[in-house]
Amino acid sequence: MPAVIVGLAIVFGAINPNFWSVTNLANVSRQMSILALLALGQTFAILSGGIDLSVGSLLALVSVVCAQRMKEFGLAFGIGAGVLAGGFAGLVNGLIIARARVPAFIATLGMLVTARGAALVLSGGLPIAGLPREFLTLGAGYLGPFPIPTVIAIVAFALAHVILSRTRFGRYVYAMGSNEEAAVLSGINVAKYKMLVYITSGLFAGVAGVILTARVISGQPTLGEVQELYSIAAVVIGGGRISGGVGGVWTTLMGVLVLGILGNGLNLVQVSSYIQNIVIGAIIVGAVWIDLARERRQ
Amino acid sequence: MDNLIRRCAAASVVALMMAGCGGGTQPPAASSAPVSPANAVTEYPRPAKPAKSYRIGVSIPHLANPHYVGQAYGYIDEAQQLGAQITLLEAGGYEHLDKQVSQMEDLVASRVDAIIIAAISGPGTVGAVEAAVAAGIPVINVNVMTDSDKVVTRIRSDDDVIGRMQADFMGERLKSGGNVVMLRGAPGTSWAEIRGNAFRQQIAAKYPTVKILGEQYSQSTPADGLRLMEDFLQTFPQINGVYNGADSTAVGAAQAVVSAHKAGSIVMTATDFQIDTEKFIRDGVISASVLQQPVTMGRWGVRAAIDYLEKKSVPPVMFTGLMTATKDNLGTLDLATVRAPAGWTPPVR
Repeated sequence: MPAVIVGLAIVFGAINPNFWSVTNLANVSRQMSILALLALGQTFAILSGGIDLSVGSLLALVSVVCAQRMKEFGLAFGIGAGVLAGGFAGLVNGLIIARARVPAFIATLGMLVTARGAALVLSGGLPIAGLPREFLTLGAGYLGPFPIPTVIAIVAFALAHVILSRTRFGRYVYAMGSNEEAAVLSGINVAKYKMLVYITSGLFAGVAGVILTARVISGQPTLGEVQELYSIAAVVIGGGRISGGVGGVWTTLMGVLVLGILGNGLNLVQVSSYIQNIVIGAIIVGAVWIDLARERRQ
Repeated sequence: MDNLIRRCAAASVVALMMAGCGGGTQPPAASSAPVSPANAVTEYPRPAKPAKSYRIGVSIPHLANPHYVGQAYGYIDEAQQLGAQITLLEAGGYEHLDKQVSQMEDLVASRVDAIIIAAISGPGTVGAVEAAVAAGIPVINVNVMTDSDKVVTRIRSDDDVIGRMQADFMGERLKSGGNVVMLRGAPGTSWAEIRGNAFRQQIAAKYPTVKILGEQYSQSTPADGLRLMEDFLQTFPQINGVYNGADSTAVGAAQAVVSAHKAGSIVMTATDFQIDTEKFIRDGVISASVLQQPVTMGRWGVRAAIDYLEKKSVPPVMFTGLMTATKDNLGTLDLATVRAPAGWTPPVR
């Protein structure tokens, strides 16, 4: 997969040298940061043997809550409220999946629709304008040479890596995804850790939603359409197994890089946006196919 | 002034053509940008062909609506006349604001000479527009307004007049009283806000017997218009009029009206003139539509970009003209500024 990424970058760079410009590299990484955060949350859900279909509409709900609270109580409160709104929706997902034992696919599908509806109700369907100008810094500003969203995404990757590889929670996520029955029999409190999985995914979506709100400097109830599908694609393209137990932060990073570089690169080399969809669809299937073929050979 | 404009708008319903009258004085709604339409320019001739071949990036909401196909033709044909190259990007619909923002960033990264934007969201595009300007790339705002005040110029229809023209048509037809529902169009766009608000104000001010029962925002597609109108017809048994901020919802709503066997007994007004709209006007389902000139918008956008790059002065606000189409004048309309030539397809990037 890293070879594919390098290959893509070389091809795009050869056709349009601007691909390697500092502005554009900042660009790609900034555009990828939203997908990266969603995909990290999705990594937890898929690794644990579940799935989180709600993350796309959570962006919209978070955006509306963040913008409304920010107008009432100020910058910091709005950001906090946005992230917590994501976490709260994740908690609801977790309760329904772990306690009521509704399959994750159905529970989060319900949240996908509900969260979009809630975003529309809270906002009356209209964008929420008039946010403080300083908020734009979060979406468009720089820390040294790095765009702030990129920095946040990198920190999130590091954090997720530590959680998955160094903590008990992380080990249990893999255990539940590999064989849930065995996890139950070995005394893991599966219900509790499943809840944690979806809260984590919700919190990542919360951070992503706040950054996206800053990028568009307004609360937008229509944000995030089909982003849940791209987040799933990012997890599996890199080599994460869709049924759980296999994958992690690195494979997800690979998937995010492929999708992000493709999206930006195809624009820069002026491939029609209609054809882009076909290319991306083919790559999603192709990447997983190659992966499975390699697995079978071993 | 205010009065004069009202009369001007009212007169234009009867008149065939109204090439951008002075303009509304109502302050635009919260989500639309501050403009001063009173001294808007209504003529903008083609400049001389510059020595340099400029690269111009264009970001529009989508191409599923013939309105934007006409606009795309305006950009590309005008660019050919002036030796410029267009990179045309479409975001796939009014729900994909994040995609438009990314496309703007990609245009900045590919170092185009100027960017033309029809903004998916007024407030939502401020960051992207200002990032482009900060990178030294001038931004021309066409058709749908961004809230950023850093743009070189704003080129659009007088949306306030469009709303008032529909209100006057509706009000005259429903003089003895009637119930109206509104399909406003895409939430957060300047056109949906300004036209809808102007319609409401004009009805309230001039036609007290006309009652507005309800309004809905939606994505600007026939499917949404159909769904909303079916539901309106269930909710309110007595509907006499339907306002449409755009004809994309109107052609769907017209379908619902036909299915309910109410064609002709409900006054339907719209904006723009896709083929289906023309057909529904011919069949007497849609009563009137206010025609914008998207091809002209595209042409003026390119002219403004080139004038600015050639260091010539560019007027800050420009209004392209309007026409009203009814069953009676269908054969007489000059559509060269409204539609792309038949069979023309946009080279999408």
